[in-house]
Amino acid sequence: MATTATPVIEAPRRRKWGRRAREQSSGYALSAPAVAVLLVFFLLPIYFIVRYSIGLDRFAKTEAAAELTGELAGFSTELWRNFLGEGAEIALLGKSSAALHLPMYVVGIVFVVLVLGAVFGKRLSARFGGWIVGGSFFLLLAPFMTIPAGNNLLRLAELESGGDFLRLFFRSVTMATTSSVWAVAMAFPIAYFLAFGIRKSKYTWLLVVIAPFLTSYLLRVFAWKLILGDQGLINSALFELGLRDPDNALSFLIYSQFTVILVLLYAWVPFLILPIFIALENMDRRLLEAGTDLGASRLQTFRKVTLPIAAPGIVAAFLFVFIPSMGEYITPSLVGGNTGYMFGQAIWVQFVGGTLNWQTGSVLSIFLLGVVLFLTFTTSKFLRQGGGATA
Amino acid sequence: MIARRRASTDVAMSPGGRRLLGLFFVGFLVFLYLPTVILGIFSFNTSTVIAFPLEGLTVDWYAKAWGNAELKKALVASIWVGLAVSVVATLLGVLVSYALARRSFRGKSVVSAFVLVPLVVPTVVLGVALLVLFRPNDPVIPIPLGLWAVLIGHVVIALPFAVLLLLPRIASIDRRLEEAAQDLGASWLQGFRRVVLPLITPALLSALIVSFVISIDEVVIASFLVQDQVTLPVYVYGGLRLNVTIPLLIPIATVMITVSFLLVLAAELIRRYGERRVGVRQ
Repeated sequence: MATTATPVIEAPRRRKWGRRAREQSSGYALSAPAVAVLLVFFLLPIYFIVRYSIGLDRFAKTEAAAELTGELAGFSTELWRNFLGEGAEIALLGKSSAALHLPMYVVGIVFVVLVLGAVFGKRLSARFGGWIVGGSFFLLLAPFMTIPAGNNLLRLAELESGGDFLRLFFRSVTMATTSSVWAVAMAFPIAYFLAFGIRKSKYTWLLVVIAPFLTSYLLRVFAWKLILGDQGLINSALFELGLRDPDNALSFLIYSQFTVILVLLYAWVPFLILPIFIALENMDRRLLEAGTDLGASRLQTFRKVTLPIAAPGIVAAFLFVFIPSMGEYITPSLVGGNTGYMFGQAIWVQFVGGTLNWQTGSVLSIFLLGVVLFLTFTTSKFLRQGGGATA
Repeated sequence: MIARRRASTDVAMSPGGRRLLGLFFVGFLVFLYLPTVILGIFSFNTSTVIAFPLEGLTVDWYAKAWGNAELKKALVASIWVGLAVSVVATLLGVLVSYALARRSFRGKSVVSAFVLVPLVVPTVVLGVALLVLFRPNDPVIPIPLGLWAVLIGHVVIALPFAVLLLLPRIASIDRRLEEAAQDLGASWLQGFRRVVLPLITPALLSALIVSFVISIDEVVIASFLVQDQVTLPVYVYGGLRLNVTIPLLIPIATVMITVSFLLVLAAELIRRYGERRVGVRQ
């Protein structure tokens, strides 16, 4: 029975196999140019940066030059050990008396566990999933969340490190977190208004809101320099009105952490509106009506229906800003001054800005890249939701 | 339909809340656009002091900027790099997007993730990486630092955007159109040229424009890799750090922002036109 049927089935199957093989190879052929470009100009250099970071390569040509820049001559993990330092201190509400001293690997493990908890908490337990996710998010953000008030940033908990570069990294993360959280807080009502409050030509308004994001980042930072600078718009207005002496400009307006946070927020907030808007726009409107029909107030409906549905979009928006802000270079170098100095600038200084210690710079680069990639891959669930909508 | 939408607005916010949000929205637009507008206003200012009221209006700064030879060279360099980046990134993007949309092969998910990774890599790290690759003493790849190196760096960051614009459009084309072409005896290339290409032309144009804009606005990677000949953003960045040539930079900034706005508008109009043509609902 089967023998008579075999040739009839096999003939098309064989053709299909040939087609599949062809499809495979043409798939490779079409992807090859792009993949080759990325392998050579993206992956290969990262391999070399790793080599620098463990002392296998160095920038200095001669021993004397290496002595001067402090580069090592052969394989060593010393640079990494120096970078990670002895450990980190966690001080609550800026009180160093209540500091908790932890070795660095503990901090790393806690961080990884918290990120995994924030991403996969829902799967761990049906009943406490929400609490695990919320708690992890809170604990991750708490040490880095600040209230920007001039140069004095008030923090809930402070993470300090013995290593200079790691301390700088924590400070950069603090600035990035603060600006991202405020940016999300600003973007949400705008996205909400666009999704529910505007009845006509919603998408045109959306474009109006997003368009500034697509103009040059550098030039938008420049515009703020004109407004906030020592001879900028606000300070000159204060002189004119006689409220302040020209020699005594409001200096915290420029060259401070506050300015960096403000400018980062300004630069990214238009972009954030998109993923939140999409999450709200795709939501089934009948759920809202069902909520009110069942007797919930507007606030209850918002809290129990809208917010949970929009949550992935909000997280995606946060990450979209937070990830690039961590390695930010342009904004702090133009408006940050000494107090607003960030990690990205430190990398710059090591490579081209004078120190020319490519090995230390490589350690910083690989660390930053590692943190960014770890965050991206663990949270890709959220990013894809937001990013898929963006595309 | 209208009645239902109105109802969901009413559920989402009270009339008072809507007014409040509307006010916030207007304030937000002012916050968003005011810095750019101020930049535009002060480009016509006679005085070098940034303060209201303006002393007088002039187009002198525009003339001076236009007459600056160094600046013009930087502009020309930027445009060349931008054009090359847009062509190369779009070309690579079309090929890999087609493979990802239409072919099934082993490791496809790895390829699609790999192509998008440069989106999240900090530009400082990317700049450093290419600097290491082209390092002046003992380069790994014998390409000298300069505009060619900048071009390569910009292709790497523009490629994911090209793919994000092209991939959904190619995937949305009805497969049967190509199969019909092949059944009628067209080769793959003929089918691609006659069927796919006309349908993705709008997406292709937006990919070209977006890659160009990315390249012409990019400053971090460029400033790691330029040598004697700088690009326009690197020139502006240098001027801003030195704080001396600011009145000269304001008109440049104004023109660049205006051009970016126009390009964005063009890209969006083309995209919408394309969506209507393929019949994708918004």
